[in-house]
Amino acid sequence: MAGFLQQLVQGLGAGAVYASLALALVLIYQFTGIVNFAQGELAMFSTYIAWQLTAAGLPFWPALVLTLAVSFAGGMLIERVIIRPVEGAPELTLVIVTVGLFIFVNAAAGWIWTFLIKDFPNPFPAGALEAGGISIGLSTLGVLAVVGVVMGLLYLLFRHTKIGLGMRAVAANPESARLVGIRVGWTLALGWGLASTVGAVSGVLVAPLLFLEPNMMGGVLIYAFAAATLGGFDSPVGAVVGGLIVGVAETLAGAYVGFIGSDLKVGVPLVIILGVLLLRPQGLFGRAVVERA
Amino acid sequence: MTHLVVKDLTAGYGDARVLHGVGLTVGEGEICAILGPNGAGKTTLLRALSGMIRARGTVTLGGADLTGHPPDTLARQGVAHVPEGRGTFMPLTVEENLRLGAYVRRRGPELEADLDRIHGYFPVLKTRLKQAAGSLSGGEQQMLAIGRALMSRPRLLLLDEPSLGLAPLVTRELFRIVQAINAEERTTVVVVEQNAHLALGIAQQAHVLETGRIVLSGTAEEIRADEQVAQSYLGYRV
Repeated sequence: MAGFLQQLVQGLGAGAVYASLALALVLIYQFTGIVNFAQGELAMFSTYIAWQLTAAGLPFWPALVLTLAVSFAGGMLIERVIIRPVEGAPELTLVIVTVGLFIFVNAAAGWIWTFLIKDFPNPFPAGALEAGGISIGLSTLGVLAVVGVVMGLLYLLFRHTKIGLGMRAVAANPESARLVGIRVGWTLALGWGLASTVGAVSGVLVAPLLFLEPNMMGGVLIYAFAAATLGGFDSPVGAVVGGLIVGVAETLAGAYVGFIGSDLKVGVPLVIILGVLLLRPQGLFGRAVVERA
Repeated sequence: MTHLVVKDLTAGYGDARVLHGVGLTVGEGEICAILGPNGAGKTTLLRALSGMIRARGTVTLGGADLTGHPPDTLARQGVAHVPEGRGTFMPLTVEENLRLGAYVRRRGPELEADLDRIHGYFPVLKTRLKQAAGSLSGGEQQMLAIGRALMSRPRLLLLDEPSLGLAPLVTRELFRIVQAINAEERTTVVVVEQNAHLALGIAQQAHVLETGRIVLSGTAEEIRADEQVAQSYLGYRV
């Protein structure tokens, strides 16, 4: 039993990272209807910025704040410069653009920082909490806490600020949003900025567990896709719950299903994606559209 | 005193031109009805006035030039457009929809008072404030859309087919409220309407639009008395 709980907690820790990247995906999808394949690479690039800042001598937390600010501005810039010109284009065009962005950012990181792996500092202490026969790593708790804070801030933004209300209005009905005076273009840019910031958090959290290298987010992105699909691509809450479920499922499958082990673990998100698309395409929390004519 | 002045307005979609030089004036605090058959360009006219589509010509409101601005800018200038289909923010609550109407205004006691005022016009909305707007009936959504537009304290209210899809009783009630709003707030209203009877009942003046041109203008009484209009839109001979 203790072993099971141990795996569960570990799964939640991993899931929190998937949740934050999934949340970034969902944010952009909600506002622009774009599935941003480059989300993981943007997070990786942000993580390199954080690494560069700490390597230059800045303590971790100030470096993180600065990284998030740069990521926010970068996300807005990408929307204005790269996404704006193809706004409203067919889905295939948008997919190709974000895949292109994926390749570009990946190559840029390799060009700037090389493809050699780097050690990323772990911001959390190394110890563990022992309780009831299970031990919870402080870094796992730290990851959960950071993701929890990010969720809380987003909730406050969307539910209790005028800008957040405007953003939800744009997601719900852009044309009407324009008619009530909302600057829709800037709101979309804001959405990209927010998503890049949330994505950066996932990159910085996952980097100490993996190694920092330009391809580090490839796997995480697949888990995030599974999480967003499971939770529903139009539901931020769903993205978080989906992320946690995917993390736990992956960890438990790796530990308890003999033939999966750690090698086949990455198959778990694919099974989840397939299962959700077959059984409940809108995801667990996807909007069951309530509309009367 | 004339408030809204439209001169030689041309607009369309892509290469297809829909409006061919429309001109009209509306006095401050007046209701102006735009009548005409399907495809005459009535909706296009409203869309051009609120900046949803590009138009050529000149539009001035209280002397200020509105031509060629995007809708978010015009909303800040006091133009409120209740579009065809009502433009409801479906997943948001009724209250959020109303507050979005006041997006261009500062928060404050005045805004809260306006919310109360709108509950006064549309008591049914007050009972559904926390409900998702998408779950309202068609008539309630139309009330919500008008309430949303009023929350911006508009100087010009554009109503596109408010009766569309509504039961006759609901429509009559809605027009009565529009008239009350116009009387109490002195809001200038341009209403596009298939139901010529109702529209002429509340309007001071009316224009008949056919294939993108105004073919007849006059006071509501004159238009009502016109034999051609009576046959085409009112369904009886004078």
